[in-house]
Amino acid sequence: MKVKIPCLCLLLVALIAVSASLNAQDWVHAGTNLGNARIRLGAADFKPVGADPQTPALKATFDATLFNDLQNAGIFDMVSKSMAPQGTPGSQQEINLGQWSADPAKAEMVAFGALSSNGGRLVVYGFLDDTRNTQSPQVLTQQYNEASSQEMARTVAHRFADAIIERLGGGINGIAETKIYFVSNRTGTKEIWAMDYDGQNQHQITHLGSISISPRISPDNSRIAFASLGTGGWAIRMYSLELGRMVSFPGGTTGGNNQSPAWSADGSKVSFSSGRTGDPEIWVADASGGNLRKLTSFRGPDVSPTWNPRTNAQIAWVSGRTGLPQIYIMDQDGANVQRMTDGGYAISPSWHPNGAMLTFSWNRKYGPGAPGGQDIYVMDIASKRWMQLTHESGSNDFPSWSPDGRHIVFERTVGRHTQLWTMLADGTQQQELTRGGDNFMPNWSWK
Amino acid sequence: MSVLLEREEQLELELTGEPIAAPATGSVLLHLALAGAVAAFYFVNISHNLWGGPNVGGAIQVNLVSSAIPLPSDVPPNQNVLATEKPSPAPAPPEPKTAAPKIDDAIPITGKKEPIKPQPTPQKQQKLPQPQQQNKAVYGEQAANNLPRAVQGQTNPGPTSITQGDFGTRFAWYVDGINRKMSQVWNKFEVDPRTPKGARVFIIFPISRNGQPGNPQLDRSSGSPTLDRSCLRAVQRVDTFGALPNGYNGSNLNVSYYCEY
Repeated sequence: MKVKIPCLCLLLVALIAVSASLNAQDWVHAGTNLGNARIRLGAADFKPVGADPQTPALKATFDATLFNDLQNAGIFDMVSKSMAPQGTPGSQQEINLGQWSADPAKAEMVAFGALSSNGGRLVVYGFLDDTRNTQSPQVLTQQYNEASSQEMARTVAHRFADAIIERLGGGINGIAETKIYFVSNRTGTKEIWAMDYDGQNQHQITHLGSISISPRISPDNSRIAFASLGTGGWAIRMYSLELGRMVSFPGGTTGGNNQSPAWSADGSKVSFSSGRTGDPEIWVADASGGNLRKLTSFRGPDVSPTWNPRTNAQIAWVSGRTGLPQIYIMDQDGANVQRMTDGGYAISPSWHPNGAMLTFSWNRKYGPGAPGGQDIYVMDIASKRWMQLTHESGSNDFPSWSPDGRHIVFERTVGRHTQLWTMLADGTQQQELTRGGDNFMPNWSWK
Repeated sequence: MSVLLEREEQLELELTGEPIAAPATGSVLLHLALAGAVAAFYFVNISHNLWGGPNVGGAIQVNLVSSAIPLPSDVPPNQNVLATEKPSPAPAPPEPKTAAPKIDDAIPITGKKEPIKPQPTPQKQQKLPQPQQQNKAVYGEQAANNLPRAVQGQTNPGPTSITQGDFGTRFAWYVDGINRKMSQVWNKFEVDPRTPKGARVFIIFPISRNGQPGNPQLDRSSGSPTLDRSCLRAVQRVDTFGALPNGYNGSNLNVSYYCEY
């Protein structure tokens, strides 16, 4: 017993010490007006290592992709290449942070690193340094080792950009590796296509030779649901990206007028508009195509459902029950119907990933001779306050949120040509993604 | 004649010197004897006591123990931004006012009835020892607190921490990220427009290691319920601030944040 007491005491002391170190925590003080400007970020050209003849081309692709990704992120004020200091620092020892923090670069952060291609492997070391912190500037270190190819150089650049955005953007998941699915007629018929978020790598998915529209990618990126015109009229059809072929979706073929599919956030259900009872109504089915249920039953068309990706418990859709189409929301069982728009011609809702906002296409003064046009709007659901994102530039429709909730892809028709554009969710940084043929109905992947 | 004789004897007696030699000698001898006795006593008894002396056993060695025993520091850690190391002396306290002597023999006014007041039972006042009043300002001083805290940096525009962890300095980019994220999610239009410009609400919330904010709490109200609520809602809207930096060992990060209208 005499031995046990000192042992217990020692244990107690050790426990207190351990818990104290575990509970160690710092305080930081912050406020709304303490600097929320964009981060001034420099992206140095990566240092080519080795004498492999492929390296210069890979490095050029990598540098360009990384710079574009960071610029597109919308949270950085990029140091233009002409203002960046000379040299290609490849490691922590080679970077001169003083040069980067000084005029004219004035960078707060610098991304740099080394790239080598050796024996069919692409090896990239990426660093991110804080130029204002001379004691411990290193913020991020990444290493990639992949099969060497142009495509992989782009992918690695995307991943490094995403890592930087995630670190400096406060946990924002980067979108550099996301895809956009859309409809294109560049082969003569409307087929489903896919491309990277920045418009690169455009490729055809379906080859049905019919008319396929309204592609919607599943949350796990495994299947695309879309509406296709077949012998029996419009049907909801499924294409498996994993299998590379069509898969069945029996619930979406009946009635001949099935359109605008939408995935639930967990990927277990698909809702769509169906006219099988005469009037287009919102229906919901399991992802396998069974267990059909009708959610709406009002006179007038009900189309274009979209799920609340945050709660997976609400659906926004377009209803023409009062005449011109308006945006409505309801619970996923059809209860608590609420009208969101107060007039005009409102269509194509897309729900923000955090569930708080909708984006849609709206012509607020619809009618012959009315001012304004079809533009993209964002609405805060709780307050119903809205903001117009596009102004007097063609007819804009089919907005779709990016998974980070900071970008919107949409189609814009100017004259006779319809192309896909992206912009930040405040309407800035608009850029055209597609050029060939006409392209419609974009849908941004969930991840 | 006889009187003359007596005066002459008296005069003779006065003129002859007193015999002082013998008593003086005795006195000197007595003092010498006393001094001798004291000296003898010292040599006999006291000279054997070596306490404090240079010889062995006469001195003891002392060691400083302050390093071994965790004594409380003389000056408590002062983390108040208003604090100074030298508290300025405040003006001397005012002299206690001498109460006017109560005149008991005042003539009561006739026709006016004094309301009967409940007389409190007189309590015997115990005289407590009054602590000595220190004549210095009390602001700027606070009790020592082991919680690490941060203060607004005096020179840097960004928030800094004065603790050893010093999160704000080491990971300024993360704090910037918090500011940026909160500014994005704070909906100013939720605030009643009658709220005065510049009103601030202070809230506190923790951020766990994976970057998720904990339950926000009102620290200091702005006086406007809508502003308070909008700021709290802003935190609730945030999914994550991004995982805490790898170099930070703490279990979570406490954030004091203000929304300024």
